[in-house]
Amino acid sequence: MLLVPCPHCGPRNSADMSYQGEASSRPDPSSTTPTEWREYLYMKHNPAGWLRENWYCSSGCRRFFTVERHTVTSEFREPPLPGSKTPRPTGDGADPARGAP
Amino acid sequence: MPVRLSAVIRRSLAKRRLAPRYSGAGLLWRGVRNSSWPRVWREPPLKKSYDVVVIGGGVHGLATAYYLAANHGITDVAVLDKAYLGSGGSGRNTAIVRSNYLTPEGVAFYDRSLELYNTMSADLNLNVMFSERGHLTLAHTDSAVRTMRWRAEVNKLQNIDSSVIGPAEISRIAPSLDTSPNTRYPILAALYHPPGGTIRHDAVVWAYARAADAHGVDMHQKTEVIDITCEGGEGPDGKGPGAKVTGVCTSKGDVSARVVINCTAGWAGLIAAMAGLKLPITTHPLQAAVTEPVKVFLPTVVVSGSLHVYVSQTDRGELVFGASVDPFATYDMGGTLDFTEELAGHVLELMPAVSEMRLLRQWAGLCDITPDYSPVMGFTPVEGFLCDVGWGTYGFKAGPVSGEQLAKCVAEQATPELISPFALSRFDSGMLVGEKGAAAVGH
Amino acid sequence: MIRRLEPRSGEVIDRATPLKFTWNSKKHIGYAGDTIVSALLANNESVFSRSMKYHRRRGVLTADYWDPNTMVQVGTEPNVRGAHRLLEADMLVSAQNAWPSLDFDVKAANGLFGRFLTAGFYYKTFIKPQRLWPAYEKVLARFAPGGVVDLNTPHGYHDKRYCHPDVVVAGGGPAGLAAAISAAQAGMNVMLVEHNHHLGGHLRWGTDEDRAVADELEATARMAGVEILTDSTVTGRYDDNWIAVSQRNHPGVVERLIKARAKILVVAPGLIERPYVFAGNDLPGVMLSGAARRLINMYAVRPGNRGVVLTANADGDAAVVDLERAGVEIAAVLDARAGETISKASGSSRHLNSVTLLDGSTVKADLLVTAVGWTAPTSLLNMAGDRPCYSPKAARFFSTALPDNVIATGGIVGDGRLDELIAHGASSGELAAERAAAVKHRLRSTVTRAQTPEGPEPPMPADHRDGLCKAPHPELYRSDTHGMVDFSEDVGSKDLLSAAAEGFDSVELLKRFTTATMGPSQGKLETVNTVAVLGEARGESIEEVGTTVWRPPYAPISLGALAGRVFEPVRVSSLHEWHTANNMKPILAGQWIRPDHYGDPAAEVTNVRTNVGIIDVTPLGKLDLRGPDVPRLLNLLYTNEWSKLPVGRVRYGMMCAEDGVVADDGVTGRLGEDHYLMTTTSSGAGQIWQWAEMWLQTEHPDWQVHVTPVTTGYTSINIAGPRSRDLLTRLVDDVDLSPVAFEYMNVRSGTIAGVADCFMWRIGFTGELSFEIHVPAGFGLHVWEQLIEKGADLGVGPFGLEAQRIMRLEKGHFIVGQDTDGLTKAPTTGLTPLIRLDKADFAGKPELEWSLGAGAPELPVLVAIRPTDPQLVPDEACQILRKGTAEIVGRITSSRFSPTLGRSVCLGQVTPEFAAAGTEITVRLCDGSDTTATVMQHHAHFDPEGVRLRG
Repeated sequence: MLLVPCPHCGPRNSADMSYQGEASSRPDPSSTTPTEWREYLYMKHNPAGWLRENWYCSSGCRRFFTVERHTVTSEFREPPLPGSKTPRPTGDGADPARGAP
Repeated sequence: MPVRLSAVIRRSLAKRRLAPRYSGAGLLWRGVRNSSWPRVWREPPLKKSYDVVVIGGGVHGLATAYYLAANHGITDVAVLDKAYLGSGGSGRNTAIVRSNYLTPEGVAFYDRSLELYNTMSADLNLNVMFSERGHLTLAHTDSAVRTMRWRAEVNKLQNIDSSVIGPAEISRIAPSLDTSPNTRYPILAALYHPPGGTIRHDAVVWAYARAADAHGVDMHQKTEVIDITCEGGEGPDGKGPGAKVTGVCTSKGDVSARVVINCTAGWAGLIAAMAGLKLPITTHPLQAAVTEPVKVFLPTVVVSGSLHVYVSQTDRGELVFGASVDPFATYDMGGTLDFTEELAGHVLELMPAVSEMRLLRQWAGLCDITPDYSPVMGFTPVEGFLCDVGWGTYGFKAGPVSGEQLAKCVAEQATPELISPFALSRFDSGMLVGEKGAAAVGH
Repeated sequence: MIRRLEPRSGEVIDRATPLKFTWNSKKHIGYAGDTIVSALLANNESVFSRSMKYHRRRGVLTADYWDPNTMVQVGTEPNVRGAHRLLEADMLVSAQNAWPSLDFDVKAANGLFGRFLTAGFYYKTFIKPQRLWPAYEKVLARFAPGGVVDLNTPHGYHDKRYCHPDVVVAGGGPAGLAAAISAAQAGMNVMLVEHNHHLGGHLRWGTDEDRAVADELEATARMAGVEILTDSTVTGRYDDNWIAVSQRNHPGVVERLIKARAKILVVAPGLIERPYVFAGNDLPGVMLSGAARRLINMYAVRPGNRGVVLTANADGDAAVVDLERAGVEIAAVLDARAGETISKASGSSRHLNSVTLLDGSTVKADLLVTAVGWTAPTSLLNMAGDRPCYSPKAARFFSTALPDNVIATGGIVGDGRLDELIAHGASSGELAAERAAAVKHRLRSTVTRAQTPEGPEPPMPADHRDGLCKAPHPELYRSDTHGMVDFSEDVGSKDLLSAAAEGFDSVELLKRFTTATMGPSQGKLETVNTVAVLGEARGESIEEVGTTVWRPPYAPISLGALAGRVFEPVRVSSLHEWHTANNMKPILAGQWIRPDHYGDPAAEVTNVRTNVGIIDVTPLGKLDLRGPDVPRLLNLLYTNEWSKLPVGRVRYGMMCAEDGVVADDGVTGRLGEDHYLMTTTSSGAGQIWQWAEMWLQTEHPDWQVHVTPVTTGYTSINIAGPRSRDLLTRLVDDVDLSPVAFEYMNVRSGTIAGVADCFMWRIGFTGELSFEIHVPAGFGLHVWEQLIEKGADLGVGPFGLEAQRIMRLEKGHFIVGQDTDGLTKAPTTGLTPLIRLDKADFAGKPELEWSLGAGAPELPVLVAIRPTDPQLVPDEACQILRKGTAEIVGRITSSRFSPTLGRSVCLGQVTPEFAAAGTEITVRLCDGSDTTATVMQHHAHFDPEGVRLRG
């Protein structure tokens, strides 16, 4: 089981966390276009390499945080400091209408 | 785009090799004479140019190549695979086939697939061991019963044999299931789909490969696509929307092609990125496991959506298990212990008697998950670059029909009716396919 | 004649404790310490199974856990490793895969057709006529190998254990023991896991001096505080050294899964002896040198009378000595190092009779022992990402690259004298200890609130161990004849060659086509021989062919152990015992167990409509929101307007996801200036909490809002019916409940039945005058009982979920997730006035704006529906069709018989074409017949003006 580096709790089992998907920034809802908005809703980089992504420490401190993880080797790099500005998570996990994919 | 050919010319052009047919008599004859069978497919050199390049030598890619050649006379086709044929999801799935989906689009599509699977052994002259053993999807909650009924009703309207049955009937069909009302997740009902079943997944790969080869299709194993070449697009290197595909660069050399088809499941996003496209796809591993063999006792496929598990027993006696995809995106197929723990817990919830059976092997495949649990098929904003991806956990079931329809799409330069709901453009219009309603685990 | 030897110094059997057992209904006696197989051999049994395909008789091959020929059924337990499992008193042991008996097996007839049953034969036949395939399939299924599952087997007791050792050592041979000792002596917390029953590895079946070393190492390890597990296996190494250990001998537990988060894993599994491929290599009487030596030295069993030994190494030479000491007549010794080998073994189907040498001469023998080399069980290394590489010089695979937290030692690394192996183990243990200390430092420094260790993080200690040499060993895989490669799967070298000739000539394709290496030992005996034969076919070396990746688990583990004690939490309210004592019919709703009804849901409805009823709604999600920015949060989460909600008022709201799909709904009330209580659906409680936190933490960290989930902190009761005010008034003194003072959609806090700090909301899902009260959970039962007691004369009665569902349907209230689905956008619900596009922002706003704009694609419409036949209740999920066609234009989402109206009532989604009031629609019932129904003007079938609830 992967150890996810929560900036508050330290490394925790991934089962204690809730995955929130790729980090992306939310377009301004007052000026966005359908193409831009749906790109934000649905399109993914999905790289085989370093990915900026969001996690929610659901069984621990209950804080959202952003980390970079390598999607092939499962390494994390430079865990963020607590309180660092994190872009809003989007997609799969963040959306209460959708369960786990 | 390939030239359209008349049916007569097409037939004469189809360079069908005269390969010996597989049969019981042939087996006896060769046994008596101690002679061996010829190679199942050729190992041709990689040409500099092909009409159509199919990336991915799994069921989807091979079926596409086969139907291009067999149905449309397009034989200048290469299938490229970075490893060996069937090394991806085609060789890692749990080999369940069914057509009891939720939406009319889904049902029509998978029903055609089941039809092709049904006659595949004879059509392709290789026994793919299709076992029409019935498929039970268990419901443990009120709302699950409602979803099962929803599926059953949609299925019946399309003449699919599918109905909701109660615990007594479930127990009759699969006596090893604990249908008592006192379990943590009592079995309230099930969607019973008699035409569903299992098939030998590797055999399907080999059958298509052998048949495609006989029609002159070149298959190249251990040939990895490193890049896709385009011209005229908005993005860097002439890629991206508005571009036209010109070929692929591979680990064994460059190949020019007028049509490039992406059939790479979990790796679909990486291949699309080579053409400058982004897809609505996240790659998650789907794990599976198998036990040691025991004498056959489970006659049907059993699925429980609420318990995230599906199980069937092979003719060799092994129980084959699957679950839902792993919770986070990764290309790592190492597998996890938590998967086996959860799986075992849920299996024992359904069948307490198997607690002494031992798990022999676990593995994982990569799934290309889309937001609406439906595929992305057909044309893309890059001319000549087609996709047959986004299959998530359903890809194997859909292999034959996907190949058939995609071949049609290439040959006729128009999107066939059966796959029109699955166009990439739906994510631009926000009109998703309704299969999401019944997703969870739906093997 | 095979028989028990005189007592010997190294034996592990306890001759003072004889054990009776049964083998295929024959009675035998063995000793404590015997394995099933050693006891059977001592009783002159030499055939233990029939092979999978040809049903050939099989005797002992390796005499350990990996022996493919000695899988037996023990009682209800299938596939027991007979050469590993210890004998127990009164064991019922029987052979598997033989019918009608082990001695006479009719399927052995398959052997006659061997040349036709080549690998993959079934792909080529049974193709036509296709209709006969199911019949063939049934026959094939009868040939499934393995034991029998008794469908009455109980689950058994399975515990699990978690631990955090600094170092886990997999393998208790000399190197593993030495590693464990030095790591423990360096102050580390060490767990040593040995697959077999005894520590010492190959020393156990060696000389007396070997055993003395093993004993000393074991004693030192215990002294050093190493936790030692025997008959236990490290079955897997997963991400970040998450180690799975299957412990098979823990008292009171059938099999236990230990999950260890090890800082360092030391892999020291030793080597597995490899069989040799030649004709007749699966005859009973042909075995490996390790088997012969284990049987003689540990179990005091003579493996044969007259033996031939093929030896390529010191272990084979030692076997010759052991055999002689055990009184076996040595007929011939062939030294493979000098180029000698055997050609084939012959005999009856029951036993080996003679061995043919390369020159064609034969030697009479009933025992043939081979020692042709080893396979490195690199499984755990594979799981750590290693891709081992073949060394032709040493004739086995070696590790290439390992992560820092995995260290290999012992035979898997190289060869050496015993002292060299021990020295390598000891230096590996030191390295493990150094690295474990570095990992500890790193783990501590990543926790900001923990005490940070002193100094900067030390670099990961480098590997300065002296290596072990790779001793030359002849490459011996196949003789000049064809024999068995995979004993479990009955796949021979000839099968492999012909499959390769057909084009299945990469190791993965070959494996899939022939099933070689897919059996119970998962390739530990077979993989390298398979690769070697494939190399022959391709004219390539073993390194060029490569090998397959070994997947977890290292050794099979029972489903019971993996499952553990099934722990699926159940949630119940503080009133659960009352419900149980009062005839509750329960219903499962997510994790909650709730009363569906108390016997007669229709009567419960009528009682609410005429008198007063109370329902336990504790599972309703409740979030306590505090802070000056709560209105901003509410405006963001809900589609409607929340800026000006006065204190004491509550409001209904609908939430959407960013794609405009309805996610949840509920009411939120303002309890004080900066204090609100939000309610969510029961199933949405957890997710909405997370959703709120997500917006607050990531998008608006500057907003001052504190969210506290209080779902189970309060017992929630809805008091509904025309007499609800009368009832509640009897329990409340400090709140004026009169219609003027406490209007519809208001909230008050006060004391109920003496319980302070309760909240009362005037809202209701049932359409009746009703009060929803939230009572501190500890007093829930008290208040509930008071309601029952004080309302007796008012006709108060409990009602369950079913009655509530009927009443909400009568009122046309939709349920998120039932009347909506994963694609239902907010406008479908008809609550368009609640979608306030004039707000600057809210979740899903852009999508809703577009779906309400001109030219937007048509969305389905939620409508109330009444079947033409008032007695007919269509099942929920029945499809609505365009008349006379099979075209689906909608579906029934909710359907019940309304006791209030005396007719069936429904909600459904239809396409806009069918949504106008008065439209007649066609409903396809589950039995296939069609009926008609009418679309209604209002969602509410009952009291559409809401007179009753405002009363």
